[in-house]
Amino acid sequence: MTQPYAGIRVIEVGGTVSAAAATKTFSDFGADVIKIEPIDGGTARRLPPFPNDIPHLDRGSFHLALDTGKRSIALDVTTASGREIVARLADDAALLIQQQPPADADALLARLSDRAPSTVTISPHGLDGPYRDRIENDMTTLAWTTRMQRHSNEGEEPLRYAPEAGTIQVGATAAAAGSAAIWRRSHEGERFTIEIAGVEAMTGNVDSFFTIWSMTGADLPRPAGVSKAAYVAGNYPCKDGFVLFAAGNDPFFSRLCDGIGHPELKTDPRFVDPDQKPLHWDDFMTYLQPWLDERTKLEVFTQLQDVGVMVAPILEVPDALTDPQAVARGSFVEVDQPDVGAITLAGPPFRLGDAWQARPAPRLGEHTSELLGELGYSADEQIALFRAGVTA
Amino acid sequence: MTTKLLDGLRIVEACEVWAGPMAGSLFGDLGADVVKIESFPRSSMTRPLRVAPGPQGQAVGGNDGPPYEQSGIHHLANRNKRNIAMDIRSEAGAEAARRLIADADVFFEGYSSGTMERLGFGWDVVKEINPNIVMISMPGWGVEGPYRGYVTLGSGLDAGVGHVSVRGYPQHDTGFVPAIFHSDATGALTVIFAALAGLRQREKSGKGCFIDMSQIEAMGWQFPGIFAEWTMNERRPQRLGNSDPHIVPHGCYRAAGDEQWVAIAAEDDAQWAALAGVIGKPEWAAGDDPRASVVGRLRAREEIDAAIGEYASQRTPAEAADAIQEAGAIAAPVTRAPETLASPQLNAREWFNTVEHRYAGTNIMGGFLWQIAEDPATWDRVCATVGEHNVEVLSALGFSADEIATMQRDGAIGDSYELPSA
Repeated sequence: MTQPYAGIRVIEVGGTVSAAAATKTFSDFGADVIKIEPIDGGTARRLPPFPNDIPHLDRGSFHLALDTGKRSIALDVTTASGREIVARLADDAALLIQQQPPADADALLARLSDRAPSTVTISPHGLDGPYRDRIENDMTTLAWTTRMQRHSNEGEEPLRYAPEAGTIQVGATAAAAGSAAIWRRSHEGERFTIEIAGVEAMTGNVDSFFTIWSMTGADLPRPAGVSKAAYVAGNYPCKDGFVLFAAGNDPFFSRLCDGIGHPELKTDPRFVDPDQKPLHWDDFMTYLQPWLDERTKLEVFTQLQDVGVMVAPILEVPDALTDPQAVARGSFVEVDQPDVGAITLAGPPFRLGDAWQARPAPRLGEHTSELLGELGYSADEQIALFRAGVTA
Repeated sequence: MTTKLLDGLRIVEACEVWAGPMAGSLFGDLGADVVKIESFPRSSMTRPLRVAPGPQGQAVGGNDGPPYEQSGIHHLANRNKRNIAMDIRSEAGAEAARRLIADADVFFEGYSSGTMERLGFGWDVVKEINPNIVMISMPGWGVEGPYRGYVTLGSGLDAGVGHVSVRGYPQHDTGFVPAIFHSDATGALTVIFAALAGLRQREKSGKGCFIDMSQIEAMGWQFPGIFAEWTMNERRPQRLGNSDPHIVPHGCYRAAGDEQWVAIAAEDDAQWAALAGVIGKPEWAAGDDPRASVVGRLRAREEIDAAIGEYASQRTPAEAADAIQEAGAIAAPVTRAPETLASPQLNAREWFNTVEHRYAGTNIMGGFLWQIAEDPATWDRVCATVGEHNVEVLSALGFSADEIATMQRDGAIGDSYELPSA
């Protein structure tokens, strides 16, 4: 197996979910990822669920999924002794990704040597500006990005995304920028200091409606259930759940009429005249809803996709794991995790031959001694660091 | 000039809507030379031929140019690249595409699986044209498998992966959950990582490679918690709204004003002490009050939510969030776009970009996803008009002025779409 990041060292500092997410894909594509985490374990290790609901620093679901194949060193990087070790580890690395409180992040950047690699520093708001020291979590970071307000129903509480989904996307942003920095360094030898502010990363990406508002002046009305004007779009019930349509316009609307056995509707002025269409949603539903009621979400999905309609099943999590496409492609894999057993994880984010591999996640500090040994610290020096509370 | 991180790489994009085009812009931000092959003569979904009603309409600063040049949803994802609008089904268009591919490091396409093969540019053909190229195909559900050929927007992938089923309010069913496009943002980022992984692989093997990037798989690893609820403990994840089963308080509270909301949380005792003081209940974090402890707060969820709700209802979201943050707990206004533009933080960091466009006027655009101290990204190219760089790109590929004129006359390339008669 040839892996694109084999022989490349990436340093992760902080043990947060964003930092863990940022380095995971490097690890799964072959990098030697050294996870430097607080001596009582990074926050990513404390997130549930846990097997049988028994909390454990080495068994949390986010840790097991995001720390695959990494080496863990438990180290207090806020001490001079800790920063010296980080700096020495970084000297042989191609990239360092960190998330720490801004003052600690700055201190670490200042301590790195001239040999150090490019760095990516993750924070909610960036390392300067009036909000630099604000503490945010997954929900409040998302709240800043317009996504939470826009993707919620009028009159209802604005809704967050799945737990840590925004936080992990910020990590994925760091991974993308970091991979570009590695590319440049390996060709031109240059070093870059990159910042990812979570609010900027998510407001600047698609799915944010900031730029759309800024350009069009539209006042961003929030949805209030399915549109009865630009139909068929949104969530519709079927025999065993819901499907999501995006078939408000042609060619998809016409294909939908064909797909439900009513080709005459695609030329019916009630549904094709832009002025009349918003008045006749109820009429159209007398054709569509009975057809949906007789079919499961996978039947609706496959039968209408076969004629080119944009529609998707709204799957619950157990169904997503057994979805025919996911099963056929092997979208989920099993990893034999020591002390836990076989666990199910999502498979490769993209297929590059056989270059992706998920290996077990490390115990907290599993590689502390190994890594200190590689750096040449003697047994007594390692004991000294341990006694001083710098390592674990 | 923008960042030089990917200076020297030549990228060809054949994508529509958001995930792929945003990836093209990110490559451009990073310094690569990106050429977008724009669909022609059919316009893409984000280039409407009519002025669209509703919230995704036309640039307000726009002039009387064509509607497909003024669409916000298109401009959002199409900066920092050149544009060649051509019909690759025509012989001349196909020849131009072959020359582009022959000259490129990366070719990525976002059509449903099988489409590029039918158009004559599947991997079997592409690798003959350029054995050193990295090609990425990024259909929603991937290249291979029973859903081959299926079409979707990003919202369909958030539905199919299980994300939509766990959003939503406990009191409403899934029918009530609005669409999200999280997968488009994730997909764009994954293309960058995938392309660079492919290019590294090329350096090791000495030849190009093909990457099958299923956008639903590109996002699937980002939900470890909800999957583990089922795979570890055989529980169906429930719709939680904004609550957290293990953190009180953790929610979104109605603030003063019309549809104003503020998100607030205290994740440990210290943050709770800070928050309790701000909401006028310092005694709830003091001495032996049960609410001073994590577990006591879990047991007093309704009472605490009510007290925070009372506090929030008398203040604007920003007032509440500023006071709570000042004290040391977690809070943020649920921000609307106009408030984003007014953000003290984003303005202090000079995040916004003011750009001028021939048809869309002067607009303030969202900024870059990263800040690079030594070599900042810049907005070198505004969203290109249809076929804006036809002549420039084709000339560089060796087409003569006469040949380009012939292509234009024959409809192999174009710089405008036919508008429907009123």
